[in-house]
Order: sequence, then C-alpha cells, then structure tokens
Amino acid sequence: MPPTLYPRTTLKKIIKAHSKRPLSRNVDVLIFLNYALFMQELINEAVIKSKQGGERGVSGKSVKRVSGGVLRKYKG
Amino acid sequence: MSVSARKKQRLSPERELQRTPNNVTPITPFRRAVSAGPTPGSRRTPIVRTPGTVRTPRGGPATRPLPSRRVAPTTPHAIRALRERANAARTPGNNRRRSGRIQRETPRDILRDLSRALARDSRPIEPSPQVLPQRTRHSALDLPDVEDGPHLAAPRLSMPLENMYDDEDSFHSAPPRQSLLPDLPDDVDGETIQSLEFGRRAISEDPRFMFGGRQSERFGDLSELGAVEEEYEIDGTFINRRADGLLDQAIEEALDEDDTTTQIRALAGPRDGRSSDVNLGVFGEGEDDTEDPTFRFLIPERIRAPAREDAGEEEQEAEDDQGSGLQDPPNDMDLATNDQEEEVTAALTQGNPTEDDGMLGWESDAPVDDDAELAAYREEESAMDRSLHTNSPERSFTGQQRGVRKAKEYLVSEHGIGYPSFPAAPVKKLALNFMKSQGSKAQLNKDALAALVNTTNDFFEQIGIDLAAYAQHAGRKMIEESDVIALMKRTRKTTDNSTSFSLAQKMLPRELLQQLRMEPPIKLKGQKRKRLNPIQEEDDDDD
Repeated sequence: MPPTLYPRTTLKKIIKAHSKRPLSRNVDVLIFLNYALFMQELINEAVIKSKQGGERGVSGKSVKRVSGGVLRKYKG
Repeated sequence: MSVSARKKQRLSPERELQRTPNNVTPITPFRRAVSAGPTPGSRRTPIVRTPGTVRTPRGGPATRPLPSRRVAPTTPHAIRALRERANAARTPGNNRRRSGRIQRETPRDILRDLSRALARDSRPIEPSPQVLPQRTRHSALDLPDVEDGPHLAAPRLSMPLENMYDDEDSFHSAPPRQSLLPDLPDDVDGETIQSLEFGRRAISEDPRFMFGGRQSERFGDLSELGAVEEEYEIDGTFINRRADGLLDQAIEEALDEDDTTTQIRALAGPRDGRSSDVNLGVFGEGEDDTEDPTFRFLIPERIRAPAREDAGEEEQEAEDDQGSGLQDPPNDMDLATNDQEEEVTAALTQGNPTEDDGMLGWESDAPVDDDAELAAYREEESAMDRSLHTNSPERSFTGQQRGVRKAKEYLVSEHGIGYPSFPAAPVKKLALNFMKSQGSKAQLNKDALAALVNTTNDFFEQIGIDLAAYAQHAGRKMIEESDVIALMKRTRKTTDNSTSFSLAQKMLPRELLQQLRMEPPIKLKGQKRKRLNPIQEEDDDDD
C-alpha cells in the first residue's frame, strides 16, 4: 500500500471548486470513503454489464452505460 | 639654593639639547632623499614610554628598529598591522606611505620640486614653425621624394568590359546569368516561371561536374541524348555513370543551360529528396499542354493528389515524345518517383481507396523491369518513403490529440473555479482492487479507465454540490464531517448495521482510518454517537 491511497490535496481542491466552500479538516477522508463505495458499486455494475454484453474484461462503453445509474444512487 | 637649583633645572634641558647630537630635528630636512641615508634620529627613535607600563620590550632599542614601541598588541588586527609596518620598514625602498610624516623622496619628487622652483621664472615654449627638423627627423623618410617624379597614371576604377570575357586566364569563365529564365517556349506559360530561380553554384566549383555528376539528376538529359545504354554503378545512394564519355557534353549543357535541361533537371528534381523541388511544382514545366499555372506552386496535398496522376501520365507522354524509343530506365525512374509521391500522397490523404486503386492499376500497367539496379533504386525510394512517413501528418495529429487531452485535464467548475482532474492512477488502483476482490480478471483497458476517470469527476462534482447544499442547510459555511455522514445516510450507505466507521474499516487503509478516528474531536464523536444511538433506539422500539 502506498503511504497515501489518493491525492488528498487534489480531492480537496476538486470538492472546493464544486462547492465553493471550505472543508473541515478530515472531510476528505469521508468523501473518499464515499467515493470508494461508489467506485465499488460502479465496478460491480460495469462487470455485470460487460458480462451481459459478452465482452472480455470491462470496456469503457459498459462503464459509461452503468455510470449514470450509479451516480443517481449516490445523489444526495 | 632653591633659586639656583631652579635655574639649573631650567637651564639643564637646553644645555642637553645643545649637547646631544640626537636632537638635531631642526637640521633634518622635512624631506630627505633616500640616498641621503638614515637620519640619526630615525634610527634611534626616542623611546616614548608611559611610566606606568609594566612590560618592558624584549630587546633593547638597538636590537629591533621598530619605529614605535608600545604595549604589545593583543588584538589580531593590531598585531598584523604592526607586523606589516615592521616589514615595510625593513624593505629597502620603503616609500610605502606618502601621507606619512616622513615622506620619502623619489627622483620624481625632486623633479617636481625643481619645477616648482623654476615655475616663476620659466615661460612656456612656443614652438616656432620650422620645416627643416621635420625633414631630417627620420632618416628612413629621407628617400627621393615621390612627388618629384612624374605623375603616375590614375588607376581605373572600372573594369574594361570588352576584355572581361575574352580573357582566357581570367577566372571569369562564364558571364553571370540572369535570374529570370530568358526565353521560354511559347507553349509554356511563362507568367509564373519568370520568377523562378534554381540553386546555382559557380560552375568551376560545382562538384557535380567535378566528379562526373550525380547520375540521378541527369536522367532526363540522358534519355534525350540517347545515352540510355550506359551502364550504371550503384554506389550507396548515388548512381554513377561508369563510362565517362558524356562528361564533356554534360558540361557543355551545363554551361549553356537552356530551358529544356532545366526543365528536365527539374523533372528529375524529386530524386534529390529535396521536398522543395517537389513543391516547386515542376510537373507543370515538362508538360507540353499545360494551361494550369497553379501547378507550379505549393498546392495542398489533398488537392494535388488526384491531379498528380494526370500529371504523371502527361509527363510520361512528354518524355516519350522527347526521347528515343527505349527509355526503360528513365521511365522507371519516373515511375519510381511517382510511386514515391503516390505513397506520400496516399499517406497524406487517408481514406481514398478509389484513388489508390487507380494508382495501383496505373502502376501495374507500366512496364516493370526487374533490373537489379532498379530494384536497388526502388528500395532506396522506399527508404526515402520511410523518412517521409515519419513526418506524415497522422502522427502529428495524434500528437495534437494527446495535447488536447492534456489540456483537458484542467476543468472549471460551475463557480468558475478551476480544478484538476482526479488522477487516473488511484482510480485504476482502486478499480483493480475491486475487480480482484470481485473475482474477475484485474484488467482495465484504456478507454475503460478514461470512462472511470470521467465518472469519478462527475461523482466529485455531484458530491461537492450536494455537500455544499447540506452545509448551507445547516447554516454553516464550512463543509463538515456531519454533512458527509448525512449524505451517506441519505443515500443509504450507512444503515443500521453499517456505520461510517465500519465502512471505513472495510474500505480504507489503516492510516486513513486512524486519521478519521483520531481527527474528529470529542464533539464529532458525540455527534456520531447521537446519530447512531437514536437509530438503534428506533430499532429497538421497532423490535
């Protein structure tokens, strides 16, 4: 495992840019947790989709198809 | 007694003054020449010592001729300064300091004093005009005067035009040529060609004629002269003529370079590999029935590609008209060049299969010689093609695409704040981990990863906006952990039996988990407890 799993400053920058609000200190960890859950679900769905489509491996197309639904699931 | 004693005391120093030879200070001049030797006083300086000083100098005043004897210096600067002064006193020509009390005299000082003394009486010399000393000043100049002799002929500043080209010994073997092509055939459209000028050299220096020339440049001439039966010698990229019989002819032709040779050379131009020759549109020149002057200039490749075929054929016809019957080598040479150009244009214009087919058919129609030379030549051409292909626009296009993708990475949110894209590496790592844990093959191709990164960016945009809304609803400016927890709860990520902690324990590495646990102070923990407890209570109630 690398010392940092994800670039914290980048994530903070992204969230700040979208929310135009300051972040408290360790929100980004929770956000990343949320993102990891999202990613897991996305990968699961994409794998299922690609298997349904008879593809080998996961293609970008299946990811794109699935991504809308998964994003909606994570919409607060 | 007392009075006499006082008198004695008063008188005694004066007597001593008169007696002692040391105190001749009024006698010693203020400035003394170095050559005058040391003054008696300077050698034996009177020891000025305060009575309170305990330390005595190590040696007597005679042993060390230091000018000043004080308390031994303690600071390094003082020590050094004293040492330097002593050294300077020891050095022979000790005119170290001019500003000192005793200024040593140099010959220059003496002269200056003299001049000061004489300045009242002397007057500046006004030189009277004298011619004689100037003449006799320098013996080398006392030569028989040049002006005495008869006047020389004035040099001519211009060259005699009549003799200029007749002179056989002169290196001007040929007159300068006009840059314009002087006379063109009538059927050639001369409007644009008049400004054409090919690269030139002095004929005497032209290496092409020194070494018999590069054969590839002169195939047109050879075909015209019927010199096709000659044997060629392939030497690397050059094809040399073995028999040298045509050399004189070639030189003659080069000397009176008429239009046809230039044209034909220009036709053979692309074999040089210089693209500028190709772009000069030389195909227009060789054609007998050209009425399209746009051929002569830079044409975009896509436009030129279809017309090039005709040009090639026309050129072939033209050569057929010009040359003798058997022209296989030059024709094939032209063919080869055409091939090359076709390939280039085909590479430039993608997705024109019909045109390619046409080209292929044309090529198959042409007579194919299986000469070794030709094969070698064709290989050479293909090598040239390879070098040309490296510059083909496809690659630059892909490079541009890459550049676009790079530039795309910096995005702008709806608030007008720029932000970087989430890097692909952690996305990939995370995705591969999940895929592995899911049991499928851990493989991600490029566009899948790109899609994942895109989705990631979308997700962060969405969650950012959501969290901002949550924080605003709570009346806060800052986004806090409680907002995220509320969001997770609302999206059913934290349920009754899975808290954010348990999820974090599952998903996150230990460092992040520790930070999550350590960082939030008691307050937040309390919040979480509160949040969790009511749920459990509700559950209990439900149960």
